[in-house]
Amino acid sequence: MTEIFIKIKNLNWFYFFTVSFLSFVGVVMIYSATSAMENNIFINHLTKVFLGLAVMTLVSLIEIDFWKKNAFYLYIFFLFLLIWASFYGHIGKGSRRWIEFLGFYIQPSEFMKIAIIMALAKFFDEKQIKDPRDYFFLVLPIFLILLPVGLILKQPDLGTAVIILLFCFFIFYIAGLSWKFFGLIISTMLMITPYIWSLLKNYQKQRILTLFNPENDPLGSGYHIIQSQIAIGSGGFFGKGWREGTQSHLDFLPEKHTDFIFSMLGEEFGFLGTFSVIGLIITITLVTYHISNKFDRDNFKRILGIGIITNFFLAAMINISMVIGILPVVGLPLPLVSYGGSSMLTYFIGFGLILSMDRSSKHNF
Amino acid sequence: MIKNKNSLQLLKRRSFLLGGIKSIFTLVVFGKLYYLQILNKSKYGKLSDLNRIKVKILYPERGIIYDFFGKQIALNRPDYQLNIFKEKSELINSYISKLQDVINFSDEDFLQLRQNLQNKDISDFIIVKKNLNWNELQAFELISNKFPFLFINKEKVRSYKDDYVFSHVLGYVGYRNDIEDPKLKNLKFGISGLEQLFDKKLIGTDGWIKLETNSKGRIKKELQKKISIPGQNIKTNLIAAVQEYSYSLLKDMNASAVMINCKTGGVNCLVSTPSFDNNEFSNGVSNEKWKDLINNESKPLLNRCTAGLYSPGSTYKLITALFVLENLNFDPKTEFFCPGFVEFGNRKFHCWKKEGHGSVNLKEAIKKSCDCYFYNLARIIKIDPLSNFSKKFTLGKKTEIDIPNELIGIMPDSKWKINKKGERWQKGETLNTVIGQGFMLSTPLQITVMTAIIASGKKITPSILKSSIAFFEDIDVSLSNLEFIRKSMYAVVNEWDGTAYASRLPGKFKMVGKTGTSQVRKISKEERESGVLKNEEIAYKLRDHSIFTGFAPFDNPEFALTVVAEHMGSGSKVAAPVAKKIMKFTLDHIKRNT
Repeated sequence: MTEIFIKIKNLNWFYFFTVSFLSFVGVVMIYSATSAMENNIFINHLTKVFLGLAVMTLVSLIEIDFWKKNAFYLYIFFLFLLIWASFYGHIGKGSRRWIEFLGFYIQPSEFMKIAIIMALAKFFDEKQIKDPRDYFFLVLPIFLILLPVGLILKQPDLGTAVIILLFCFFIFYIAGLSWKFFGLIISTMLMITPYIWSLLKNYQKQRILTLFNPENDPLGSGYHIIQSQIAIGSGGFFGKGWREGTQSHLDFLPEKHTDFIFSMLGEEFGFLGTFSVIGLIITITLVTYHISNKFDRDNFKRILGIGIITNFFLAAMINISMVIGILPVVGLPLPLVSYGGSSMLTYFIGFGLILSMDRSSKHNF
Repeated sequence: MIKNKNSLQLLKRRSFLLGGIKSIFTLVVFGKLYYLQILNKSKYGKLSDLNRIKVKILYPERGIIYDFFGKQIALNRPDYQLNIFKEKSELINSYISKLQDVINFSDEDFLQLRQNLQNKDISDFIIVKKNLNWNELQAFELISNKFPFLFINKEKVRSYKDDYVFSHVLGYVGYRNDIEDPKLKNLKFGISGLEQLFDKKLIGTDGWIKLETNSKGRIKKELQKKISIPGQNIKTNLIAAVQEYSYSLLKDMNASAVMINCKTGGVNCLVSTPSFDNNEFSNGVSNEKWKDLINNESKPLLNRCTAGLYSPGSTYKLITALFVLENLNFDPKTEFFCPGFVEFGNRKFHCWKKEGHGSVNLKEAIKKSCDCYFYNLARIIKIDPLSNFSKKFTLGKKTEIDIPNELIGIMPDSKWKINKKGERWQKGETLNTVIGQGFMLSTPLQITVMTAIIASGKKITPSILKSSIAFFEDIDVSLSNLEFIRKSMYAVVNEWDGTAYASRLPGKFKMVGKTGTSQVRKISKEERESGVLKNEEIAYKLRDHSIFTGFAPFDNPEFALTVVAEHMGSGSKVAAPVAKKIMKFTLDHIKRNT
């Protein structure tokens, strides 16, 4: 008992409450978004938030070395689930990505993110980069990434695939690979872009095109972006007040409790609200950097920490960018704030891992 | 484990660079948020209001028109109208094709809809169809959730108590193309009758309402409004029951009946037949129906009371007689012998009674309507003074009744003859004029006002609108002479050899009056010799008009009444019996209601 008590005492409570506070913002917004609906989305979300916080605490109490040991097994386990979901899973929102488990719908692609980060962290921790020009040893990590990304694209789930590719790019970067490697990757990307473009579904192409000129097609694909910008802009500095957003409550704003929850926040709480939420995201990111950089000699922890926070930060900023109209709408929730299941749980697990890392630094140093 | 110091620095630098990239990303996001929420707050605020706030025009409810006893004769009924959001007007075609099973769209509806679509007013809604019936309403309510942006709106629109009875006097309402204010294009204005004349009073003032709507095209709540002010109500002197009863008696003829209160000038009854359905007109009459009515030989749209012109015939003899008494000091005991005709110059003027009336005095001449007696009077009458005198009784003059489009008819004199025909007045034309034939034309209303003036001795102005004070000056005619005429009228109806004896009223209230037969054709010499054809033997359009004018009760004149029945023969045969029925009904009705 005393061991657990010490572990709890050693937790980074500032970090814990910052994360909890961000999820509390989500609870408040979802209450507003769904108060007029008859279903029990709010209660459902509140339950999931408490479940997530519990899971985060639980993970924070597990020693980080446990994950280091089992990183590859975890990867294989989730890869299996991902294959299952991609071929036999439930279809929703036009893609096959869910598995039903104990009445919950689980999205293995979300857990896969953590598994990929862990696997890469372990890989780069064990294999030292002897010669930055030796690209051959990179075949394995690239394979580790492209296999699940391929499966996710097949579902299809462009948002998740893009996020994974992005944070993996940054993990490679942080692992210290030579600039030439990135030059190679970027030029390869440019070369295969037309091919990928041809693989995209029409609605996906449309979303990317309307980003550049939403007013061109105000009732089609651009409608969502325009309505979202109107919602945010009309909020002004102080916002229209909680549950007073007209764009959201009169249904001009689409998907207001999931992808477009930030627009609703901007409408009801104004610049003050959006500024504060981005402030929370930045705070969590900076604290995580601080924690990760303590382990400048432990590549696993460092890469795990930076990988997890890059995933979180990119997802948050891409979501915000897409609802304010600087990136295409790819279907990505705002971490911890949007109504969600697997994705929210994944972020809580990630923060649990970071809390565990932080705790380990306290008795190590 | 990383031991290499160089690579440690490299990794630190890279972490720092990654943080830098993220900071730039964050700055871009903040920049955009600043642009949206601080710099363009008012622009996006307006856009969000445009999304949700829709303006609707509130049309005023038209004033109600009441009859003398406070019965509503022009009222408002609820009208259920199908509306669509203007911004979604492109949905109309697909919606209509889907709705055609439950809602009937006529050609007129489409015409109206096309106009509404072009309308550029402040309203954010377009009326798709008016006048939904109960079945359409119920059927639509069941499926309305499949039709976002469509909704039912209840308006109050004009409705008249009876489809035909009041049409000419009340008129009807409809759209006007000359309205400048675009938001009033969907408001109906008075087009004829009282509705037109008192339109400014009846119409009221429009308002508006701001509604909050959602993206699914549903109205959530009212935000702000300026309520419309209903038009003022109007009280009239019309007695609905009398009007209805008169219409029922006359509806199969081309006829008119006018009743005026001799004391107040109030118009109690103003019926013209055939009539038109003013409810149908107010809802928008179809083009075919309109053409039918215009081309109908019986002219249903004509208000015969104020715009039907007839020779007053023998009813005018009252004025001729009054004129000779008043202006020529004529002795009413003077007798003339009537052999059935009078020779004047080289022409023969015939009495209606071929075998003649024998020796008659003035009173008997009125009672029996002897033409020869009046031909003899004509020898001493000059047309200009007679014409002037007649104008005191509104003949050849406007009665100034308060509905539009009143005709003045013709009261000929020498000046008129020169102006119109370019010829001098012929003495023989005076002979025709004194018996109400020849050039003379008057409306049934003028004849009624004439009778009312004789009955009351006052300068009566007829009015449909009920006013609190009614004061009329005396006319400058001696009371004894007026009394003589009234007594002669009494004889016409109540003495056994009077022309309207068959139409006398039983009981203590007596009706008095004068019959008239308005000749439509000229009877040729040959026909005269072979015997004048009876009305039944000649074409309908050439038959005489039947006229009766009178008042009741005799001792205390209250109601002056004129009935004109076109092409129905002599006044005693049709007009007088109808007048008797109307008068009896009126007296009974008044007794019951006061």
